[in-house]
Amino acid sequence: MTERGQIGRLGALAFGLALVFAGLGVRLALLHLGPQEPLRRRIAATRRHEQPILVGRGRILDRSRHILAMDLTVNDVCADPQALLRDGYARFVGLHLARLLDLDPAWVMAGLNQPERQFFYVERRVRDDIAEEVRRLRLPHVWFRPVSARYYPHEHLMAHVVGFSNHEGVGSAGAEQRMDRYLRGRPGVRISERDGRGVELPSRRSLEIAPQEGANVYLTLDIHVQQMVERALDEALERTRAVGAWAAVQEVRTGRILAMASRPAFDLNRFNESDPEERRNRVIGTVFEPGSTFKAAVIAAALDLGVVTPEQTFDCESGLWMHRGRPLRDYSPHGVLTVADILQKSSNIGAAKIALEMGEERLERAVRAFGFGRPSGIDLPGEEAGIAHPRRNWSALSISRIAMGHEIGVTALQILNAVCAIANDGFLMQPSVVARVETPRGQPLYVHEPSVIGRPIRAPTARRMVELMARVTEPGGTGRRAAVEGYRVAGKTGTAQKPSRGGYAAGLNVASFVGVLPAERPVLGIIVVIDEPRGERTGGAVAAPVFREIAAEAVRYLGIPPSGEVELIDPAARARARRETEAGRDPGDAL
Amino acid sequence: MRPHGHRLRWMGRLDGFALAAVGALALIGILFIYSAGYRGEGMEAAPFYRRQVLWALAGGFALLVAAAADYRRLAEQSLWFYLIGLALLGLVLLVGAPVYGARRWLSLFGIQVQPSEFAKLATILALARLLGRPDLKRNDPWRLAAAVLLVAPAFVLIAAGPDLGSAAVLIPVVFVMLFVAGVPLRWLALLALAGLLLLPAGWLVMGEYQRERVRVFLEPGRDPLGAGWSKIQSQIAIGSGGLRGKGYLQGTQNVLGFLPRTVAPTDFIFSVVAEETGFAGAAGVLALYAVTLASGVRTALRARDKTGQLLAAGLVALLFTHVFVNVGMTVGLLPVTGLPLPLISYGGSFMVSTMLALGLIQSVHVRRPPR
Repeated sequence: MTERGQIGRLGALAFGLALVFAGLGVRLALLHLGPQEPLRRRIAATRRHEQPILVGRGRILDRSRHILAMDLTVNDVCADPQALLRDGYARFVGLHLARLLDLDPAWVMAGLNQPERQFFYVERRVRDDIAEEVRRLRLPHVWFRPVSARYYPHEHLMAHVVGFSNHEGVGSAGAEQRMDRYLRGRPGVRISERDGRGVELPSRRSLEIAPQEGANVYLTLDIHVQQMVERALDEALERTRAVGAWAAVQEVRTGRILAMASRPAFDLNRFNESDPEERRNRVIGTVFEPGSTFKAAVIAAALDLGVVTPEQTFDCESGLWMHRGRPLRDYSPHGVLTVADILQKSSNIGAAKIALEMGEERLERAVRAFGFGRPSGIDLPGEEAGIAHPRRNWSALSISRIAMGHEIGVTALQILNAVCAIANDGFLMQPSVVARVETPRGQPLYVHEPSVIGRPIRAPTARRMVELMARVTEPGGTGRRAAVEGYRVAGKTGTAQKPSRGGYAAGLNVASFVGVLPAERPVLGIIVVIDEPRGERTGGAVAAPVFREIAAEAVRYLGIPPSGEVELIDPAARARARRETEAGRDPGDAL
Repeated sequence: MRPHGHRLRWMGRLDGFALAAVGALALIGILFIYSAGYRGEGMEAAPFYRRQVLWALAGGFALLVAAAADYRRLAEQSLWFYLIGLALLGLVLLVGAPVYGARRWLSLFGIQVQPSEFAKLATILALARLLGRPDLKRNDPWRLAAAVLLVAPAFVLIAAGPDLGSAAVLIPVVFVMLFVAGVPLRWLALLALAGLLLLPAGWLVMGEYQRERVRVFLEPGRDPLGAGWSKIQSQIAIGSGGLRGKGYLQGTQNVLGFLPRTVAPTDFIFSVVAEETGFAGAAGVLALYAVTLASGVRTALRARDKTGQLLAAGLVALLFTHVFVNVGMTVGLLPVTGLPLPLISYGGSFMVSTMLALGLIQSVHVRRPPR
């Protein structure tokens, strides 16, 4: 090779090097001097640190501030299987944990025997006292993670109304669900920057939105009335061996629910172990054919329309009436009865004849006026509308069947609310379970005011109707066993056969009693429904005694004065009356 | 004549331009290793920079020693150097300390040395000697075969480190030396073709982490938090520097640790420079390398003999490859290989071997024939 050729090759080499350097330079220029905005955005995106500031969930309390649902700090017990196996502690630690946490040792050992894992939840949501016992052992490679968990101190009590929030903290049933927006509060947020390891840089915080603590929800329910109701239901279930039972207590004047219970029930703290049947709030979620309790609404409407008078008589055909080619039977045969007696003795034939007097159109209007066929709008999730077919779908027999509470589906709350409307001078009230919502500092966010949602009948009719219903619990009525000593109870029994495929199931009943007291000036409305009682099966035999048990305790606890005494429910007025009595004056003069 | 003039006369013939550029680059290295370890005001910077000062001084000494040594004598003994280098590489495989999964380091009297760097120098020296022998015709096929056979053991031993990136540096070096030695271009083309055909085999012998790096390079979004993280953050850092940079110690990508602290002072030092000094500084650093390498090419052009010419050209190719691969990686043109940036990246063994290479170029330079 010539010297010249070699110099040429070195020159080519130099040229090549220069070319590559120029290339690098161009790339640098492109990166450095190219558009900066997308880069800046990418930088901002990788640095941005957005951290939610979580808040506790609000509490649920009854009307006297008993806590029904609250946040509690519990502990997730965690272990490092890899380290435990490496150090040979797995067996020792596993056995201790199984013993203290009451777990299956085989399950714990299987969980710890995972050499490739460094994290294992031995048990979640362990109470503080148990966690403390474990902590005292100082087990190696075991630690605790405090988490906030929902706790329901009263377990089964009022389970269907309180509801529960799931493990993600989202209200999933009852008031927990309906009031979730208030209970949950609003998590705050902190926007700041982080360094390459993801650690937040406090000096670069740019925005901090303070969290809003979850608000407390006060229910209209009273924990003591609820206890009375639930105890009575449990006893009734045992006595009647029924498959289900439900009951509610409502303030007649305001529509507020004081108690609402459903059986079968479940422990709110173990909601995930319950089945959907246990979780269903039957008071608002079960639709059934009401049977005779429905006659109260039909007869009230007929009286209000002037179609019949209480003294008017109907021939009850000695218990069997062929109507349009079909037999209509009474539970016990009656001859000629007044309208008042038809109600008292619950004659199906009489009720049918009254309805026929009304005609289909007016009956349908009355049914809707009392709130049947649509949800009451109570502030709980899962309410059913019931079934009230429009008139154009009625058959020729529908009118007589609806009159006796068949061919119509209702919820217990609908019947209770309708009867309370009769007891409330004809004003249909909005039923409610939430009284108010307050911030943790007591600032009200929501206050429920009683509101009228309908006016099915006029006041004079309503008062007469209550008088007629009071006879139901008097001698000769079907609801004698609902009578409360010292109080006049106005009510109505109901016994409906359960529908089954294509007809009615023999021997399967829904027995109910709905009533208000004191009849002179009703304060409380109570409904009791017993599903498929065995043995005695009528509402008067099965549901009425439960009503009495609840009513007798509730009036005493709530201080509702007996019938015949002064009708004062306002505590201030009662105190004034007492002072005046002590002063030697007849309190009756004060009114 | 000045005292001792005859013994130190060679110093007067050193390449001033090249030495100035080398000194500037080493100084920049120390400054930005400090910056890469900087965590914020009032906080102790990582102590890397202090050791880098020592290594830069040791490197300067090594440069002068190499420049003083006659490259012709060294070339005559190059086979021995080469065999010693191979022996050290073998030793590393047996007893070396693994760093990030690769055995590249040998502990000598408590000092960690990386024999592969010195083995590469010995290989280049031996190759220059082989190709520079006047008794071999330039188009003698045995010469090409001998050159390939000479490089192959070193390549395999370094690659088995496993450090394929470091071994691959030898490939352009060999090509440049064969090219400068006047090997016919069609033979070089054949050699390149053979190499390309071996690529699939290369894929098979690569470690999984190396394959992943190539995949990440081909698909940058593939793993934005893992292997792709450094690359993306490096590009962001460079781009955010703009024309003038964010200022010394002000590079937030660096100071806030978005460039992983393990690689900021070593493999990704260039992106720290680029972020803090902008295009101006980064282009300046490239210009200093250009000056260094251009001086090397000039040395080759003016070398006394063919061995000197090939030695200078090979060393220039070695340095160039490191600069190109490293900068190419930090600007996102090449996959992440873990090759350091000569003179600037943190690291003693590489600093000293780079300085030795530059010293060998100077050794050729000072012994150039007078004009």
